[in-house]
Amino acid sequence: MFKIFSSIRKELLLLVSDKVGLALMFLMPLLLVFIITIIQDSAYKIVNENEIPMLVVNHDEGVQGNNLLKLLYESRLFKIDMLNNLPQNALKKELLASGKMIALYIPSGFTKGLESNVGEVSHMMMRDFGLEQDSTETKTAEMPALSFYHDPVLQENYSASVRGVIDSYMGMIEKTMMIERIYTDMDLGSKSDKLNAKMNVNRVKINQIVASNNNSVAVPNSTQHNVPAWTIFAMFFMVVSLGSNIVKERVNGSFLRLKTMPTSFMLVMFSKMAVYVVVAVLQVTLTFSMGIWVLPKIGLPQLTLPTNYPAFAAVVLISSMAAVSYALLIGAWARTQEQASGFGAISIIIFGAIGGILVPSFVMPEYMQFASNFSPLHWCLEGFYILFLKGGSWQELRWVMLFLGVFILICQLCTYIKLRIEKII
Amino acid sequence: MMYKGPAIQIENITKRYKSAQEDSLNKVSLQINERDVYGLLGPNGAGKTTLISILCGIIPPSKGNINYYIGGNSVSETERRSRVGFVPQEYAFYQELSAKQNLDYFGAMYNLSKSELTVRIDELLEALGLMKSADKKVSTFSGGMKRRVNLAIGLIHKPSILFLDEPTVGVDVQSKNAIIKYLEEINRTGTTIVYTSHHMSEAEEFCNRIALIDHGKVVVEGDLQELLKENFAPDLQSLFIKLTGEEYRD
Repeated sequence: MFKIFSSIRKELLLLVSDKVGLALMFLMPLLLVFIITIIQDSAYKIVNENEIPMLVVNHDEGVQGNNLLKLLYESRLFKIDMLNNLPQNALKKELLASGKMIALYIPSGFTKGLESNVGEVSHMMMRDFGLEQDSTETKTAEMPALSFYHDPVLQENYSASVRGVIDSYMGMIEKTMMIERIYTDMDLGSKSDKLNAKMNVNRVKINQIVASNNNSVAVPNSTQHNVPAWTIFAMFFMVVSLGSNIVKERVNGSFLRLKTMPTSFMLVMFSKMAVYVVVAVLQVTLTFSMGIWVLPKIGLPQLTLPTNYPAFAAVVLISSMAAVSYALLIGAWARTQEQASGFGAISIIIFGAIGGILVPSFVMPEYMQFASNFSPLHWCLEGFYILFLKGGSWQELRWVMLFLGVFILICQLCTYIKLRIEKII
Repeated sequence: MMYKGPAIQIENITKRYKSAQEDSLNKVSLQINERDVYGLLGPNGAGKTTLISILCGIIPPSKGNINYYIGGNSVSETERRSRVGFVPQEYAFYQELSAKQNLDYFGAMYNLSKSELTVRIDELLEALGLMKSADKKVSTFSGGMKRRVNLAIGLIHKPSILFLDEPTVGVDVQSKNAIIKYLEEINRTGTTIVYTSHHMSEAEEFCNRIALIDHGKVVVEGDLQELLKENFAPDLQSLFIKLTGEEYRD
């Protein structure tokens, strides 16, 4: 026991003496989580909860322009800035200058145009029903056009969604106008409240169901992505500290010296792994605590912990083991400390980039999404996503566990082979 | 203390590294007796470090046998590891830790108990003049102090046989003197020492027996004074040059 204690104590002392390594492992994730969460928060809010800033120029003299605006206000999807004095040809410039992403121009004669079209439809219906004898062809009314402006950086699907919302409101307005016009032409007075309710409220509903195992309605927000993502990144960054330590021990002969002693090399490796797994668990504790208690204090979303604690512990543990095993691999194969820390750090940044740490993988092109499967960081993050956003069951975590398990085995095996080649084991 | 028979018996050791065209050691046979201070000498690339690495169990020989004896009894592999000390040429310890922490760690790896270690660490630090700096990081030490820490680690478990690979290379006269004096002292109390060096005058003063190795073969082996006499050499350096030649060994 004293031997194990001494070996673990030595690893701890080495770790504590490595101030740069400690800063990279503990301060870096806190700073990254803090900075990136703030930066990404507004982007996530646009997608999830924020009102979309929209410039509106309403040159309509009638009521339907205002009716459309009322519906847009009531939707709570848009934050509308009215600029009615602006001519249409200045709207594009104003949109770019204001930094808003979308603008809507309601032209002069909008209501008049709609009424004209409704009148024409009503006239045709009355004639078809035989309620009107006039057989003269009416001149086709010219439908007014709304103009939708958007910043070129706005994604096509995003602007299509906004257009869809406006289109849906226009459908409601036209439908209401149509019924009212028919009622008037048939001398039935105004349509009843009951009909109003039937038409506008009692419509086909679309039930929205979150595809999560525990019916959790947690949505991806900047905190839910960044806290686990940068924690995983920092976990793997232990390659700088652990990898360099291993190179040092290999190169300076400490490992060979241990070979002459009545001790098993497995004890040395076990101590290293144990200490660095604890480091990784501490990293998770620290950054997750920040997500739970600190981020909400500065107006950022709070981190919601998963309810399946054993699965959570398993994901943390296997992610830690993956990070430690990768550091051992780099430490075993690098020729110098510079190589270990340089290659180790760069490889983690690349793994992080393709693994969805820097930018979530669902926004990547398809081939990059395929490439992300080769990043251990992707699988670690996937594990946390399954836990946080999908209520994670063991069944769903099986691929994460399998991939990371295989990754750990390969890293450990390659480490063993290199140490055998160097006659250390 | 009476036994003066073999401590190590080396029989026909041959070593060829995987990628090498020639043997690094070719049928080397030696007998190192208990309480000998045995010098393994030779030019660069002669095979000294390979031989000492094989003797310490770091690398296996390609062919041949080695037997270890303590007090005349053959010892097992496990016991050998507990009774043999090794001081490599490199600073094979943790420079980020203090001298005390290094000794504490390596002592534990030699299966010493906490109480045994406390006593032994103080003894060694005192004997090698490191007590004042015991709690300082080794990275702040001078070259001589680091050599002494390196030596102390190899001695922490009071080995019966001690292998030293260039223990005084690159150190000042004072440190060299302290190291040699301490080694002579532990030799007097029964430790067999196997030593490699390029310092011929130091080896001449320190060793009672030597083996001169060149091109992986033993050129000459035996009692130092007798070898000097037999070869009409005034000193070890002359004997060395006479037997290994004057050309460069790069």
